[in-house]
Amino acid sequence: MRKKFVDVICLNDQAGNLKPLFLIWDNIYKIPILKIKEICPRASLKVGGSGLRYTCVFESNRVRHLYYDRGKWYVEMQDHML
Amino acid sequence: MLYHPELRNIPMAIAGDAENRHGIILTRNALAKKAGVKAAEPIWQAKQKCPNLIIREPDYESYEYFSKKVRALYYEYTDKVESFGLDECWLDISDSIKLFGSIKNIVIDILRRVKNEIGLTLSIGVSNNKIWSKLGSDIAGESEYYVISKLSDIESLPASSLLNIGAHTYDKLKSFGIYSIGDIAKCSSNYLKGILGKWGEMIWYFANGYDLSEVAGYNDPYEIVKSIGNSSTTVRDIYDMDDLRVVLTILSDSVGSRVKEAGMYFKTVHLYLRNKNLEWRTMQITLNENSDLVSTIFKSAIELFKKNNLNFNVPYRSIGISVSNLSFKKEASSIRLFDDNSYSLRERRIDEALDDIRRRYGYHSISKLRVLEDTELSNFDIKNEHTVFPVSYFRK
Repeated sequence: MRKKFVDVICLNDQAGNLKPLFLIWDNIYKIPILKIKEICPRASLKVGGSGLRYTCVFESNRVRHLYYDRGKWYVEMQDHML
Repeated sequence: MLYHPELRNIPMAIAGDAENRHGIILTRNALAKKAGVKAAEPIWQAKQKCPNLIIREPDYESYEYFSKKVRALYYEYTDKVESFGLDECWLDISDSIKLFGSIKNIVIDILRRVKNEIGLTLSIGVSNNKIWSKLGSDIAGESEYYVISKLSDIESLPASSLLNIGAHTYDKLKSFGIYSIGDIAKCSSNYLKGILGKWGEMIWYFANGYDLSEVAGYNDPYEIVKSIGNSSTTVRDIYDMDDLRVVLTILSDSVGSRVKEAGMYFKTVHLYLRNKNLEWRTMQITLNENSDLVSTIFKSAIELFKKNNLNFNVPYRSIGISVSNLSFKKEASSIRLFDDNSYSLRERRIDEALDDIRRRYGYHSISKLRVLEDTELSNFDIKNEHTVFPVSYFRK
């Protein structure tokens, strides 16, 4: 497993909450985040990191964890996928 | 290691910058510990024990960030959280038991949450006093806890495992046939007082678990700040008074500036010196009236050095200044007949002007002439470069 930093388009609401709306993959694809199932503080021991973990639902009901750690967004990726 | 999982299965240590003579091991992982690498030993010595040891530089920003995060988690369980350094805390959870069930529940919950949510491993010591809790946390393994409820749990441990018993004190105790914590506890306090002075009585209290000091709470002003200090291992050894003055100027500048930032006044000035043989001593002086002036700190430090008849036979490698006995109010000072009363006013103006210029244009934009005499020795910004200060148990 490896860490892959990604660009994210977010909504910063009036209450100060940060809600990721789109994930930009490899500077090309703009993938909409349909739903956020859970937000919790969580360490990512496999790839090394710690922060807020957003459990996001993408198209075709695919679920991925998106981590927000000190101003940066990243996802956990299998080595062969990078 | 949290951010570098690839280093988890390799012996690894964090060490200071060898080029600036801070090259000692600050901490190490379990594998390096197994190979015999100890904290505070020089890098070359550690590498002799463990040739494939990986050395990394400390990341103070992350260290501080995670300390704050873990502390915030503690506050979910109790408001009585007292820091002991940056990475250790005492928690008084006596009043939280009704809320969370039992001590065991709270401890296990904290261990689990810190591991899962923050990604760090803790060692927790559980006891009815701060000294035994600290000892318990030293005994407990990673992500484990250790309960010390009575003296028999710890009496066979060496005396040196007790907080504040260093190598010198331990050697002295050994020469009197006192080896374990149990031995200390069984002695009479007067006997220990005879060996170590006031300190001996204190460790007798520690060994017996008679430490009654409270854990400072969230709103406790003492918890905010008890002493302010800076120390530095200099780029080269200090051989004479001129060099010492340069280092003391920078240290007192930083401490004075931080005292003023906190809006406080100090009454006691401490000087810490460690020589080339790594022997250290601390001295202190209490002033007649409290102050927040840089010049007072500097003069007191010089006075301490001279008063204690210290010399440069063995050069010094590390120097520190701290101030304590802090308060938020300036004590009323009597008008002196022979001294110039406008002096302190003038000194304060100088301090404020210096701080103001540095805030706007950077630390090195203005310096005292004394500091410019030796730029090699004075080329550091202690106030902004160092944010980790050693703390003493007796801060209050």
